[in-house]
Amino acid sequence: MKPLEKFLKKQTSQLAGRTVAGGPGGGPGSCGGPGGGGGPGGGGGLAGGPRPLQRRQSVSRLLLPAFLREPLAEPGLEPPPEEDGGEPAGVAEDLGSGGPCWLQLEEVPGPGPLGGGGPLRSPSSYSSDELSPGEPLTSPPWAPLGAPERPEHLLNRVLERLAGGATKDSAASDILLDDIVLTHSLFLPTEKFLQELHQYFVWAGGMEGPEGLGRKQACLAMLLHFLDTYQGLLQEEEGAGRIIKDLYLLIMKDESLYQDLREDTLRLHQLVETVELKIPDESQLPSKQVKPLFRHFRRIDSCLQTRVAFRGSDEIFCRVYMPDHSYVTIRSRLSASVQDILGSVTEKLQYSEEPAGREDSLILVAVASSGEKVLLQPTEDCVFTTLGINSHLFACTRDSYEALVPLPEEIQVSPGDTEIHRGEPEDVANHLTAFHWELFRCVHELEFVDYVFHGERGRRETANLELLLQRCSEVTHWVATEVLLCEAPGKRAQLLKKFIKIAAICKQNQDLLSFFAVVMGLDNAAVSRLRLTWEKLPGKFKNLFRKFENLTDPCRNHKSYREVISKMKPPVIPFVPLILKDLTFLHEGSKTLVDGLVNIEKLHSVAEKVRTVRKYRSRPLCLDMEASPHHLQTKAYVRQFQVIDNQNLLFELSYKLEANSQ
Amino acid sequence: MPEQSNDYRVAVFGAGGVGKSSLVLRFVKGTFRESYIPTVEDTYRQVISCDKSICTLQITDTTGSHQFPAMQRLSISKGHAFILVYSITSRQSLEELKPIYEQICEIKGDVESIPIMLVGNKCDESPNREVESSEAEVLARKWKCAFMETSAKLNHNVKELFQELLNLEKRRTVSLQIDGKKSKQQKRKEKLKGKCVIM
Repeated sequence: MKPLEKFLKKQTSQLAGRTVAGGPGGGPGSCGGPGGGGGPGGGGGLAGGPRPLQRRQSVSRLLLPAFLREPLAEPGLEPPPEEDGGEPAGVAEDLGSGGPCWLQLEEVPGPGPLGGGGPLRSPSSYSSDELSPGEPLTSPPWAPLGAPERPEHLLNRVLERLAGGATKDSAASDILLDDIVLTHSLFLPTEKFLQELHQYFVWAGGMEGPEGLGRKQACLAMLLHFLDTYQGLLQEEEGAGRIIKDLYLLIMKDESLYQDLREDTLRLHQLVETVELKIPDESQLPSKQVKPLFRHFRRIDSCLQTRVAFRGSDEIFCRVYMPDHSYVTIRSRLSASVQDILGSVTEKLQYSEEPAGREDSLILVAVASSGEKVLLQPTEDCVFTTLGINSHLFACTRDSYEALVPLPEEIQVSPGDTEIHRGEPEDVANHLTAFHWELFRCVHELEFVDYVFHGERGRRETANLELLLQRCSEVTHWVATEVLLCEAPGKRAQLLKKFIKIAAICKQNQDLLSFFAVVMGLDNAAVSRLRLTWEKLPGKFKNLFRKFENLTDPCRNHKSYREVISKMKPPVIPFVPLILKDLTFLHEGSKTLVDGLVNIEKLHSVAEKVRTVRKYRSRPLCLDMEASPHHLQTKAYVRQFQVIDNQNLLFELSYKLEANSQ
Repeated sequence: MPEQSNDYRVAVFGAGGVGKSSLVLRFVKGTFRESYIPTVEDTYRQVISCDKSICTLQITDTTGSHQFPAMQRLSISKGHAFILVYSITSRQSLEELKPIYEQICEIKGDVESIPIMLVGNKCDESPNREVESSEAEVLARKWKCAFMETSAKLNHNVKELFQELLNLEKRRTVSLQIDGKKSKQQKRKEKLKGKCVIM
């Protein structure tokens, strides 16, 4: 398994273990989990909780929604006094005084059986200190929204709230809007979500005076924010595009809106123009440029170009190999299913001329350089970006599956000097940062949500995020490969030094992704076991590297890393796998629906996480890069590493270099 | 990237639609189809005999469009022998071979020792002929390469083309064994067995 996957899996399985294990006993004191740094079992951490909980503390601390903690059988429960002074007092005050209308419940048409419940206690009594050390869960500033709601009614409820309260607390309303747009796919498919919005607008259109206007305004605000957030992604969703067009026409026809909200409607017009109306244009121009995804089709000049985001409709070239290592190159949509890919291969190889319905039809297999094989299911899609670094796609009949072997060039190694020996550490580090910034910028905010939650709704491709993760693991292997391919001990020690310098500069650049990846590469067991090489390092560098190792230490849920990144001002490139880990915890630590009701605390926490990503990218990255003579060479090198991703092979090399190191 | 020294690499060049893939697929798989799918780059492998041993014949079918100049250069620098295909129904397709030939000369230097075949495909469509074979022969002499007309559709001269190309290789003895796949494997086994007995 790739280290990054392992990293994610490990954390997840720890969590899973925790959730299942009942009782207050302290599980293994692993430092990976968010609750792991916490104290002993028992009620100590839950000062604000009105009654003891049956669940394990670490779980409840994670994200137990308010309505789980308060038995729903007690409608109209008074909010308990806030014992925890650290939380904003506004919520409690508002509730106590009867509150402005935006906190009160409005009866929504067709409430669920539990819909009549009074405002429940918000989970604000969770002290943020009890949560994971660096990234506390905050309760939504707009909380409570009211009683928990069913997925199909939540949007209604939110719009009602926005219609009533937009002027009262615009900051809270903005966050509410953002929360819902970012995370709606957790509880409603995007198309359904837009349908609901459309219906609501029609319903509000039947009302007279300010009531109707306020609701239509809310609807418009939601649509604007949706378009703003989705942007280019909408071109991939035809159904959604149609509904938006309908709604857009409705809004444009509405004179009352136009008078009062001229600016907003104009902005809507603009957004629809730039975002959505592109669809017919593009179908007229099928000659969309084929983007280079795989190494064999990347040319030097194209690899030097700034990366742009991949979309599912993009066309790519891909080599598909046969058991004898013959290959055909197919042209395919990035989002193509395995079935489609096999169809193209069959067509190329003229299998189609043979009798149809043959039993030995083709299967598609991903073969890693280690020889590990994964049989891909015909319905799987978007597989290209999920392949490992040196994995290749093979098409074969079922009976030749066992005989598949990796390509010879993935097994053999060619020692020799690469650019790393020539390049200055500053140049290499700056090019790493620049490239990773490009890749990071290509990842759409929603890819973070979709990557973690895609099991629950239709798959939307997360290609750019997958490519960034792949790159992260590529950098890790690159460091190990370069060190282990360097045969002269003195030179090897120099190389270690250079990599430590590169890590230091990346950290200075606030590029924690490259920093992490380089340090992880040096920490690869095949590299770290080279005792004689490490001994050659000057003490200064040994100490520096020890500091770096501490920074990447997962202990107490990556406390030291979180402290460092929290002090950085944008632009920052975070260690993205950790964000995904956190999102995975949010996902697995709490249900999205509890008894059919939406867990809005979870939505808010997920959206908060996504907003940290937004914050990291809120300012452009400007690196002071000197145009050195080898500038372009270094740039091309950094963007196209040749790496060994087979750990066994790395170990073999390592033992050859230092046989009896230990 | 490390290369297997054992491979004998042939690259097929020519303008789009002249029948490069059809020739290769006719030779490798014995099939032919009328429909046209533009090729990006495909490579097929076959076992052949080489200096009384066996090696892999690697036939790279290239793109007819000029989308990938870098890939063309790579195919030339890695190739041992070349097939330059035009269609006898298109003078333009013959013209388009010239820059490719020049690039082979530029990259390989001494082309005289390199097997190159000039191939006029689609000879089944002679009513539409635009290039006379005498013309191509003159060009072949100028280029110091061999010439042949073929039809992938009728399976005319296809095996001969590849056999002839290998015959041109003087640096080693390479030869096709144009049998069915199974018998080829059997022969291979027999050969290996025979060797063991001798030793």
